[in-house]
Amino acid sequence: MLEPPNPLTPNFEETVMLASRRNFLMGAAALSAAVATPETVRAMAAMQASAAHNLADWALATADLEGDIAPRAMRLVRGRAPAGLQGALFRNGPAKFRRPGGSATHWFDGDGLMRAFRVRDGQVTLEARFADTPKRRWESEIDAVVTPGFGTPGDDRARVGSPDDANAANTAIMMAGDEVWALWEAGSPLAMNASDLSTKGFVTLRDDLKGMPFQAHPRYDPDGTVWNIGLWGDRMVVWRLNADRSLHTAQIVELPRACYMHDFTATARHLVIVMQPWVFDHDAMPFAARFAWKPELGAQIMVIDKADLTNSRIFELPAFSYFHLGDAWEDGSGTIRFDVAAGKDVQFALEGARVLVEGRGTVPGEPAQLSLVTLHTDGRAEMTSSGVTAEFPRSDPRRAGLARRYTAHVAGERSGRPLPTGLAVHDWETGRSDGFDFGDGVIMEEAVWVPKPGRSGEADAWLVAPAINLRRGVTELHAFDAARVSDGPISSWRADIALPAGFHGLWNGA
Amino acid sequence: MIRIATLAAAALLALTAVPAQAEDATVTLTFETGARTGKVMVALFNSEASYQSNQPVAAQQIDASGAVVAVFGDLPAGDYAMKAFHDVNGDGQMNTNPFGIPSEPYAFSNNAPANMGPASWSRARFTVSGDTAQTISIR
Repeated sequence: MLEPPNPLTPNFEETVMLASRRNFLMGAAALSAAVATPETVRAMAAMQASAAHNLADWALATADLEGDIAPRAMRLVRGRAPAGLQGALFRNGPAKFRRPGGSATHWFDGDGLMRAFRVRDGQVTLEARFADTPKRRWESEIDAVVTPGFGTPGDDRARVGSPDDANAANTAIMMAGDEVWALWEAGSPLAMNASDLSTKGFVTLRDDLKGMPFQAHPRYDPDGTVWNIGLWGDRMVVWRLNADRSLHTAQIVELPRACYMHDFTATARHLVIVMQPWVFDHDAMPFAARFAWKPELGAQIMVIDKADLTNSRIFELPAFSYFHLGDAWEDGSGTIRFDVAAGKDVQFALEGARVLVEGRGTVPGEPAQLSLVTLHTDGRAEMTSSGVTAEFPRSDPRRAGLARRYTAHVAGERSGRPLPTGLAVHDWETGRSDGFDFGDGVIMEEAVWVPKPGRSGEADAWLVAPAINLRRGVTELHAFDAARVSDGPISSWRADIALPAGFHGLWNGA
Repeated sequence: MIRIATLAAAALLALTAVPAQAEDATVTLTFETGARTGKVMVALFNSEASYQSNQPVAAQQIDASGAVVAVFGDLPAGDYAMKAFHDVNGDGQMNTNPFGIPSEPYAFSNNAPANMGPASWSRARFTVSGDTAQTISIR
């Protein structure tokens, strides 16, 4: 549960810091009175809000949004809109955590908010709507977060008759014709209208598969085939969807261990299932409490033939933890490579994500590092760290499952200060990292690759990502040239509001 | 995780004979379904023990193509609770997905919510002291 600072237990340091901050704010307010613009007023309000609750400046990343955001123009504040950048960046992420009768205590458990940054003829608009889930409806009605989640225990006021009753639809996105599907991981996709982000309902791909888990990170074949998994103990469903998002097959595959996995990856020919040693231990709620971190077990990687899901091989590596993998590829010899934002333990999943919702405090452990896993044809596996702090690895969608050179990722997170502050592209051929850091005044969000029209080179792309400008208290949208990230954004647009940090997005070209 | 499938078997059990008494009450349960196919399978229980062990005191199968109303007559006064599922495809089973999660709608008396399992007796229980009616949403 969130607890406000208790005035009855004075903490000298806290009181002094708060007092000096207030003095600073009052001084700043007096100074700005003469030149107050709507922007400065908003920035002041953001700072005062965090100061009033003794929150960290980064707490805007997990602030509550009280309602949907109607479409509004974003203002170009840097550079020029790139000619040819046309389409929409859809992004998903939690945006409502706290209610009077009880709150989500973990970053992964807030209500999903679908954002659309639409770029047309150089003009950018922003809109956002909450996924209208049974969970959100019930919790809005009783004004309490009561549903168990990944890290939120919930209580007996919850109404969970099926996994989708706990579905926060808050993690990632899939396009499906004129729909965007809001993805979670333990239940069904939630279909929303791409045009106005209104909710249509849960997707049942076949009647007998209703409520099956559909994870947040589907992988794509060049012909549009979609692969995904859903976990259930030491079994998983492997989803194969046609390009039109109808079901091709759903097949159950036995796993060598029951563990928590947020992602999987794939080459053109194989599924790659990465089993970290965070293994099922006992039945419990919240969900994360079921698993025990057992590094002595190491990691297991299961490579499955897409053409015959009963045909698989197992590779072994020393222990690492992860949430996100990059697209995998294999060379002519059959050697498989993929990247991973690898951690040393699960402190972030258990504790760090709780600190983020508290909006203050220190995230324990170390940020993940971008690493490359190689699975050799003789059964050996190796893992090499780039040494670069990284999360949310993304690559050129035109090369999904195929040989590639670059990985884009957020960067700049460090022990002692959570959340990333910059963006980088890692070159696996040269080992060079091309990055740009905004500094502590910005929270950088995941970037997607937007291929430049008429070009085919891997670096012929823009990287498009929002960020929260903490000093101004607003959300911004940035476009970088993927070949020259260190030059900084080539264009930036500024909204007149701040949305909490999202998780994952997808570009849908116009 | 969620083990509700067992109520299927319970609901299919036939009514066991209950002695009728002149002053006994009638319970009328009207179901609002999301589909018009198959049947709604209704099981009535008269104690917590019978509810937990799925030993209904009465059971009915109601065709879902028209008004779906289950009428249980000649019931002695007391506490009751109901479990139902909608056999949408008419195969006589409460279907589940491959991981055991019900894929057909189900409901409990009082429209009591499930919470990681069947609604508790305390939430589904209703007291019968005269004719009693409930409208149950089963979608």
